Amino acid sequence: MSRWGRAAAHAVFVITFLAFWEFAAKKGWLDPVFFGFPSGIAEYLWDGFAVRKTLWLQLGYTVVGTLVSFFLGSFLAIVLALAFVTWPRLEHAMDPYLMVLNATPRIALAPLFLLWFGLGIGSKIAVGTSLSFFIVLSSTVAGIRGVNPDHLILSRSLGARPLQLFFKVTLPSAVPVIFSGLRLALIFSMLGVIGAELIAAEHGLGQTLSYLQSTFNMNGVMGLLVLLALLGMAVTRGMTRLERALLKWQ
Amino acid sequence: MRFGADLLAVDRFSLEVKAGEFVSIVGPSGCGKTTVLNLLTGLIPLEQGEISVRSRRPFAGNPDVAYMLARDSLLPWRSTLDNACYGMELRGVARAAREGKARALLARVGLKDFAGAWPKQLSHGMRQRAALARTFCLDSPILLMDEPFGALDAQTKLQLEDLLLELWNAERRTVVFITHDLAEAVALSDRVIVMSARPGRIIADMPIDLPRPRSVRALQKDPRFHELYADVWAKLEEGLGRALEEVH
Repeated sequence: MSRWGRAAAHAVFVITFLAFWEFAAKKGWLDPVFFGFPSGIAEYLWDGFAVRKTLWLQLGYTVVGTLVSFFLGSFLAIVLALAFVTWPRLEHAMDPYLMVLNATPRIALAPLFLLWFGLGIGSKIAVGTSLSFFIVLSSTVAGIRGVNPDHLILSRSLGARPLQLFFKVTLPSAVPVIFSGLRLALIFSMLGVIGAELIAAEHGLGQTLSYLQSTFNMNGVMGLLVLLALLGMAVTRGMTRLERALLKWQ
Repeated sequence: MRFGADLLAVDRFSLEVKAGEFVSIVGPSGCGKTTVLNLLTGLIPLEQGEISVRSRRPFAGNPDVAYMLARDSLLPWRSTLDNACYGMELRGVARAAREGKARALLARVGLKDFAGAWPKQLSHGMRQRAALARTFCLDSPILLMDEPFGALDAQTKLQLEDLLLELWNAERRTVVFITHDLAEAVALSDRVIVMSARPGRIIADMPIDLPRPRSVRALQKDPRFHELYADVWAKLEEGLGRALEEVH
C-alpha cells in the first residue's frame, strides 16, 4: 500500500472510531461522566488554544520545565560521567550512593522537592532532572567505555595526545550510546515534570489535568491526554531527526 | 634499526633490519610477534634489553614509524577520505596538503570513487585498502604491519599483497611485517624471521632471494618460491617440535 493509501486507511479508522464513540456517548451506552464526547474534547481544546487561549500558558510551563530538566540533568550527568571515566576511583566511591538514589522511585521525592522548591517551576525541574540525570549518566559511562581499543592503539601509535584521543576517537564513538540515553532522558524529564505537576503546582498541564479531574470535566481530561500524547510524540520525533542528522555514518 | 629484548613474551631476541628492507616475522600464534611490534611502536614499555629505531628509543607517536593493525581500524564516523587523512591530521599536516595526498593514494589503491563513502559501505577488502592508503600517506620511513591481511579471503588477500608490493616497490621503505601465513611471508619479503613458540625466540633468519619486482600471483607457479616456502616451513616445524619436546 502506498504512503497516502495507508494514511487514508488510518484516517478512516480514526474517524469511524470517534464517530462511534460520539454516537455511543449520545445514546448513553458510554457514560459521558467517565468518557466525555469527542466533540466536547475538540471544543475544549479549541477553546483552550484559540478562543480563551488559557492552555498556552500551561503548555509553556510544562515544556519549559521539561527542557530545563532535560538539559540540566544531561549536563550534570555528562560532566560526572567524564569525571568517572577519568578517575575510576571516584566512581567506585560514589557507586553505592548513586545506586540507592537511582533505585528510589524519583516521583516519591516530589513531596520533598515541593517543600524545598515551592509550587513554582523549581520543584518540577528538580523531579525531572533527578530522572534524566541517571539515565544519561549510565549511558555516557557505557558509551565512553565501549570505545574500540584498536582505534585507541592506532591513534596513540600515530601520536594522538589525550585531548585529541578524546575528541577524535572516544567522544564520537560514544555519541550513539549517549544519544539513546538522551532520547530516553527527554521522555523521562517530561514524565517527571508532569508527575510533579499532578501532585501540586501553580501551573502546567499536569496541574490542569488534576484540576479538571477533580471537577469531573471529562472532556478536558481527555483533551489534555490527547495533547500530552502529541507532545510526547513530537519530542520523540524531534530527537530521532536530530539523531539521524548527527549519526549519518551508522 | 636493532632490537634486543629479554621479556617473558619474547626471549633472547636480537634482530637488525636494514633501511629499505622488507622483513617478515612468522611463528606460531602467541609467540610474541605482536609484542615485538608493540615494543617498536613504543606502545608497551621495554622491560629489559635495548631497542633502537633509527638510533632513537621507541616512543608512542614516533613520526618515523607507521603502524597498520590486523583489523582495518577505520573510524566509522569518518568518510574514506577523512580516514585516509587521519594519520596526517594527527601529525599536523595542513588540510589541503593531506587531502591532496589522501586522494592520490585512494586512487592508487583503487578507491578513487569511494572517497565520500562511509566505512560501513565498503567491503572488507576495500576497508583494508583504505587502511593501506592511510598508512602509505604518512611519510614515515618505517612501516610496521601486524597481519594486515589476516582476516581476508584468499582471493582478496592475493590482490592486496600485490597492491602492497606495488606501493612498497615505488618507495622501498623499511617494513616489518607480522604474519602466520608462510606463503605470504616468502612472497613479500627480503628476509623471513622464524620465531619459536612462547617464549618467542628467533630460530631461523632466512634470506629470500626471489627477484624484484615480484607478483604474488605469478610466484604461485614459481618453483624457487615453493622451495623457499618448504625451507621456511621445515624451520618452523623444527621449532615447534623442539618446543613440544621441552613441554614433555
